[in-house]
Amino acid sequence: MNLRSWFLVPARLTIGLFFAAPLAIVCGYSLLTRGDYGGAERPWTLENYTRLADPLYAQILLRSIAMAAAATLLCLVLGFPLALFISRAGKRKNLYLQLVVLPFWTSFLVRTYAWLFLLRDTGLVNTLLARAGLIHHPLALLYNNGAVLLGLVYGYLPFMVLPLYAALEKIDPALLEAAADLGARPLTAVRRVIIPLSRPGIVAGSILVFIPCLGAYLTPDLMGGGKTVMIGNLVQNQFTTSRDWPFGSAASLILLAFTSLLLYVFLRRAEVR
Amino acid sequence: MIRRRAFVLSAAASASCAFDRRPRLNIYNWSSYIAADTIPNFERESGVRVRYGVYESNEEMLAKVMTGNSGWDIAFPTHNRIQPMAKNRLLASLDHALLPNLANLENRFQNPVWDPQLRYCIPYMWSATGIVYNRAIQPAPVGWSDLWSPRWNGRVTMLDDPEDVIGACLKKLRLPFDSIDPRELEAAKQAAIEQKRQIRAYLNAEARDQLVSGDVLAAQLWSTTSQQAMDASKALAFVYPFEGYPLYADNAVILRESTRQKLAHQFLNYLLRPEVAAAIVRTSETATCNGRAKVRQTPTLYPPPDILARGEWPAVLPASAQRLSDRIWTEIKSS
Repeated sequence: MNLRSWFLVPARLTIGLFFAAPLAIVCGYSLLTRGDYGGAERPWTLENYTRLADPLYAQILLRSIAMAAAATLLCLVLGFPLALFISRAGKRKNLYLQLVVLPFWTSFLVRTYAWLFLLRDTGLVNTLLARAGLIHHPLALLYNNGAVLLGLVYGYLPFMVLPLYAALEKIDPALLEAAADLGARPLTAVRRVIIPLSRPGIVAGSILVFIPCLGAYLTPDLMGGGKTVMIGNLVQNQFTTSRDWPFGSAASLILLAFTSLLLYVFLRRAEVR
Repeated sequence: MIRRRAFVLSAAASASCAFDRRPRLNIYNWSSYIAADTIPNFERESGVRVRYGVYESNEEMLAKVMTGNSGWDIAFPTHNRIQPMAKNRLLASLDHALLPNLANLENRFQNPVWDPQLRYCIPYMWSATGIVYNRAIQPAPVGWSDLWSPRWNGRVTMLDDPEDVIGACLKKLRLPFDSIDPRELEAAKQAAIEQKRQIRAYLNAEARDQLVSGDVLAAQLWSTTSQQAMDASKALAFVYPFEGYPLYADNAVILRESTRQKLAHQFLNYLLRPEVAAAIVRTSETATCNGRAKVRQTPTLYPPPDILARGEWPAVLPASAQRLSDRIWTEIKSS
């Protein structure tokens, strides 16, 4: 082995041990049969996959995709102006970027619980609205799809802002001046110059938001009050209450295959353009 | 990697052995199920060193213990896991001669249905699932069917657990809590879907705070957690549903893989002392199976015999029924 390959050894080991090996174990489990009291036993079978053909599970997958897509779109709509603002904030850039990542200093679980305190009937939002005389009955802010969406957007917005910022930061201000000189109004310049040039950031941000949202289970569980099932909850239940590790493994592999396919198509299209 | 980890572990173990030659006992228990001084006191009087680990669910414990070389000596499975574990030859038989304090167990735990002769287990703590509710809303609930009532205005929560929710639906329909009949389960599913539209959420321990704050007016909840909520708010009360309700008990067992059977018996006998059991209950705020422990007796934690008679000890579902129940639960949740 030459020197270069030696330097690659840690990376290869990391990928092999922490990605390939666990994945192989999950593959193995997905082909086994559920034991009477949990665990997995022989015989080998494909039954865990055929079970997933049930329309019930297809419906859950579709709902998860819709939810993740909505969260991604909202993150894009909210994140784009923010990233644009930060990229043009001059000396304050670093401060704003720090603020964007500030939430990561606390656990995601704790932050989600904080939302529960804000949104419940006797929470801050409802109390303030009632004090201001705007409402007479508390609004149902928690335990519905809207709350789940809010939780997802809140949790993953930084993953959209950061790549967008990186892309926007690279745009040469001279290009915008040129657009203005050639008669483009600000909005036209955004549409025809900034958005096309920030495409790599949009693609990267969307992928970084969509994929974790698709597999989310904590947010739907806490913000949705267990009243919605996303595919992540389905997988989680198999490993906990249902004690069906083989079926859970199969479900998570299908999710993985689906995500990979989507990623592949998305990246191909992004490249072609 | 595995070899390296084993090396580090054995190096650490041999290093600590060099300093500490006391025999070691490995105890695997539910989290917050012991008092701060339970283990130190035992170590002091017995000269044993204890390694104490915690788990959050039977599944987590079983996943390790099923291998037969988990390294644990004592665990605390729920009652309906005792027979399956015994059948899988995971449990050591208890030597009652080494457990004189067994006499301290409350009478009904001397011969429980899941292990009548206490061959494998010693009942440790127990609880039930019932309804905790706000007294401001009248009439007060008496049974599961009251959780379908519009009088709560949607401010009801159910446990986020298929066994408890489907069980309550079955009981509402006057069917056995742990039914495996597909038609009965189908009826329970319909009842749950109907109820889902008018309840706030499926919550476990989080329901406690929302009951205290008044966000939630009635909840399906464990008796122990309900008692904690009632201690925090005078407005709350608890009822054992008249249709019947599930009882659960966690039991101390010695694993068959254990090479320290004598020591393990010594620890279990220590746990059975009234003052030890009482100290644990004061910390964990649960209900002990020890009849001689001087603890606070409330009707919620220790219901009278006539109410106890309505309780059922659910069995663990066989694999096929478990699968059906899981599908029903998924269907309820995604309805």
